Order: sequence, then structure tokens, then C-alpha cells
Amino acid sequence: MADKGDNNVERMDNENIKPDKMFTLKKWNAVAMWSWDVECDTCAICRVQVMDACLRCQAESKRDFYGKQDCVVVWGECNHSFHYCCMSLWVKQNNRCPLCQQEWSIQRMGK
Amino acid sequence: MSTPARRRLMRDFKRLQEDPPTGVSGAPTDNNIMIWNAVIFGPHDTPFEDGTFKLTIEFTEEYPNKPPTVRFVSHMFHPNVYADGGICLDILQNRWSPTYDVSAILTSIQSLLSDPNPNSPANSMAAQLYKENRREYEKRVKACVEQSFID
Ligand SMILES: [Zn+2]
Ligand SMILES: [Zn+2]
Ligand SMILES: [Zn+2]
Repeated sequence: MADKGDNNVERMDNENIKPDKMFTLKKWNAVAMWSWDVECDTCAICRVQVMDACLRCQAESKRDFYGKQDCVVVWGECNHSFHYCCMSLWVKQNNRCPLCQQEWSIQRMGK
Repeated sequence: MSTPARRRLMRDFKRLQEDPPTGVSGAPTDNNIMIWNAVIFGPHDTPFEDGTFKLTIEFTEEYPNKPPTVRFVSHMFHPNVYADGGICLDILQNRWSPTYDVSAILTSIQSLLSDPNPNSPANSMAAQLYKENRREYEKRVKACVEQSFID
């Protein structure tokens, strides 16, 4: 839907809208992209950034730097990433990626 | 001491306040973040329009790995709502994903009001009327809508 809108605007712009109007719309686009990126960096299970310790590790209040070292990120073959802690609890009951429902297999782990 | 489930629920509440979906609202009860009260407003262009339907949501410490128990407190006449208010909805049972939050749960229930699934009925009378006598179905639903103002 957004794409369609953009095309219309661009077409209109070529015809009769002043260039500074178009600049405003481009800016709006950039903001939308930014929030999409943030969504990807957040563990969809506990809603904490994957680079920070997961909610469980935070709640267990491990010493800050140990906690952060233990709590690694895991990427699936589907390219979705979660905290290893969060994902290992979930796969015990259902071995599928919670975001795309594909069979879960680990592609890599780390930070 | 705050558990992971409680922390997750605080995040859910924050998201619900910062980015409230249209037609639903919810908040934890005063003294227990594991029990929430919620309201779903009947979607426009459905017989549920104008209704304010109250629900309770009960979470366990296994949330978000296990779904909460969601129940209508308001009387409902809907193919997928049991007489006790329990809801027959796949994402609250076998299709649950730990990526759902309160906001997603409430909007899914809201869309269930617009699109009942009469093939897995929790209320067989409602399912039958929905399929065979839409006018009578809408009449019974409208009675619930009016009752929802009083509850
Ligand atoms: Zn996580
Ligand atoms: Zn962790
Ligand atoms: Zn995936």
C-alpha cells in the first residue's frame, strides 16, 4: 500500500508539485524504515534488544557483565534472531520459529 | 522480586499505552500484574458495533511461552465463545506464539468478532444461526450489545 502511494506521489510530483513537497515525503519514508530495523534487533519473545541480556537473565539479576556474556544471540536458518535463552525455552514445546513458523534450526550463535 | 513473565507484562502494558490499537484497551488489575481487565469495542459494520465487551486475561509465570487464559465477562453470543465466556481461538491454544503480546491477543479477538468461524463452534446455536439465519443471529448479537452497556 505504501508503495502505491509513493508511486502516485512521484507521478504527481513530476507533473506539478514543487520539489520541496517531495522532500517532506522522502523524509517520512526514512522514518518508517528506521522503525522496521529496530523491530528486527529486538527479540520478539521477550521484547528486549538482542544485544542486551534477555528478560530472564535480567530478572535473575546475574552480575551485569557475566549476564551479558552468557546471554547470546541465536540466528535460525530463516534468519530470524532471538536470545538463545528465550528460544531454548520455546523450542522445548514447539520446534518452530515463532515468527515464521518454519522448522527451527540454528544457523549460528554469537553476539 | 520481579519474574521474567512480570517484566514481559510490564513491557506489554507500556506498548499498549504508547501504541494503542484501535477499539481495544486493557490494563493490569491494581494489585496483580498477572490478571488484566480489558475491553473490546464491537467492530464497525458488524452486529457487534457499539458494544463494549469486557474480558479478563490471566497469565501464568510461563508467559509468554504459554498463552494466557482469556475470558469474556460480558455476556456474548458468538459461534466461538463458550457459555462461560471462554474463547475458542487457535492462537490462544495450539497456534500460540511467544511473540504475541496483549495488544496482539486483543486485536485477534476483536477480528474474531468480525469473522466468526462457524466450523469450530463453541456455541452451536450461534454457529447454526450464523450459517442459516443471519437475521436471527444479528438480533441475538444486538441483545448482547445492549446488555454490554449495563454490565
Ligand atoms: Zn529474548
Ligand atoms: Zn538470557
Ligand atoms: Zn523465522
